[in-house]
Amino acid sequence: MLDQSLLNQSRAGLSEIEAQYIASSLLQICPPVSPGQTNLDVTKLLNEHPDLISIAVVEDNKPIGLITRNIFMEGLAKPFHHDLFDRKSCIAFMDKDPLVVEQNMSIQTLSFKVLGSGRKTLNDGFIITDENGDYLGLGNGEDLVRVVSFLQAEKNRLVTESINYASIIQKSFLRSSREDMSAVLQDYFMHWEPRDKVGGDYYFCKKFDDGFFLALIDCTGHGVPGAFMTLIMASFLDHILVEDNRHDPADALAIMNKKVKMALGQINESAAEGFDVDRFSAKQNGQSDDGMDTAFCWVNTQNSTLTYAGAKTPVFYIGNASSEVQLLDPDRKGVGYIDTPMNYEWTNQQLPLTKGMCIYLTTDGIIDQIGGLKKIAFGKKRFSTLLQEHYLKPMPEQESIVMQTYYDYQGKQKRRDDVCLMGFRF
Amino acid sequence: MTDIYIPATSDTPEINFKFSNNTLSMSGEAYPENGVEFFRPILRQLQSHLKSLSGDTVEFNFQLTYFNSVSTKIFYSMFELLNEYAKAHPNCVLLNWHHDEEDDTILELGQDIQEDFTWIDFNAIVLA
Repeated sequence: MLDQSLLNQSRAGLSEIEAQYIASSLLQICPPVSPGQTNLDVTKLLNEHPDLISIAVVEDNKPIGLITRNIFMEGLAKPFHHDLFDRKSCIAFMDKDPLVVEQNMSIQTLSFKVLGSGRKTLNDGFIITDENGDYLGLGNGEDLVRVVSFLQAEKNRLVTESINYASIIQKSFLRSSREDMSAVLQDYFMHWEPRDKVGGDYYFCKKFDDGFFLALIDCTGHGVPGAFMTLIMASFLDHILVEDNRHDPADALAIMNKKVKMALGQINESAAEGFDVDRFSAKQNGQSDDGMDTAFCWVNTQNSTLTYAGAKTPVFYIGNASSEVQLLDPDRKGVGYIDTPMNYEWTNQQLPLTKGMCIYLTTDGIIDQIGGLKKIAFGKKRFSTLLQEHYLKPMPEQESIVMQTYYDYQGKQKRRDDVCLMGFRF
Repeated sequence: MTDIYIPATSDTPEINFKFSNNTLSMSGEAYPENGVEFFRPILRQLQSHLKSLSGDTVEFNFQLTYFNSVSTKIFYSMFELLNEYAKAHPNCVLLNWHHDEEDDTILELGQDIQEDFTWIDFNAIVLA
């Protein structure tokens, strides 16, 4: 169930906020002067309003210049200037080319204009007019910075809230898998850690009378687009397992491949693969090319067999008989992508399970993460060695060890991808 | 064809395509948000350059430590291009695959490339 109260807390949309704040939000009503007035008049006005930074000069309601307190005072302070200028028109010390903006201008456009017109506008302010170009008042740089910061914070808040809520949805989609997993497994861990709160990594577990189906999925992309993909994949997979054959992971992958390709229109029409084919044309780039890498496992609990089919995602296992970590290697085609043929067939591999055997699934988020002194990928070897050393420990403890090692390895490097890792003891 | 030089950023590799002497190099990491947009103009130029050649030897130095799945796809189409050139002109494409000796991830990817693009002469080089 969606928590409506959370949705209600969300306020206006991004575009609404932008529309709310325009140049007129910065408007300060300031008395202007006319060219007919003298510098003495301006001096009086400045003395009467000590907080005025600038005064606009307006003729027939149209602004023609801007007098700035500092420049004006400095100008008059020179020897004999009072005598020379006091009775002359105030245009003597005015800036004839100040920034003039219309009151409906967006804050963003205004910011660029202010920055573009140099330091003087930030310091001295700018003139705001109505739609006809008639003088309304002044705006200043300090207020502009304040509003821009506020808008930035407000947009961040909206985007963050939106992603936080998306994360709640994605987690609630994972709930039935979590429940089924805890029903069919005793000693296990499931570590799901999207890079950006939501992501393209996903897991799936469904319990049946004769066993359970387990999948670890890495959809293209991360963040919100990745999360969209996981929801599509999860609903397809759910249908396939109920309506088709859950005992045949390779076939499930093939059906999935067709469904994704059809749903997203990812069909390679240009069968010609010649050297002259323009494969980097802009036209082809408008098309999506999304899919998933995944490991599909059917675990038959009656005859203790794991049937696996993989799309670029291996299974790591370590048995009782030998304490070497071994791999079931995946097929190298991803599911649904344009370059995966519509009728592509994946292969099933059988793994007899013995009591105590440990099975691990991971997306490439851990294996490919850059880190360490050499700034190279974590790698399968390091991962396997780690499992080898610790596989006898309870699974949750192994989770902490693997993840801690991984975090330490990542160090100050940026997280490159979503992370999804699971392990269970049969 | 003018040479291409693009310096590396945190999520795009250094591109140093010297078409003038047919030495193409790429190093760093590749995980831009829109990889297609970044690589498309580069690969278009590579394609038209290869079209203009008739049997010149092309050397490609690949020295990346990380690339995301979108970039992987782009690199595959790039290697496909080179493979087709090498098919028309056997032994004319040399791919130097530079990797750290402990970097089994990059080495494995290289082995996949080697397996998939059989016309390209593949040469794994351990970084000193």
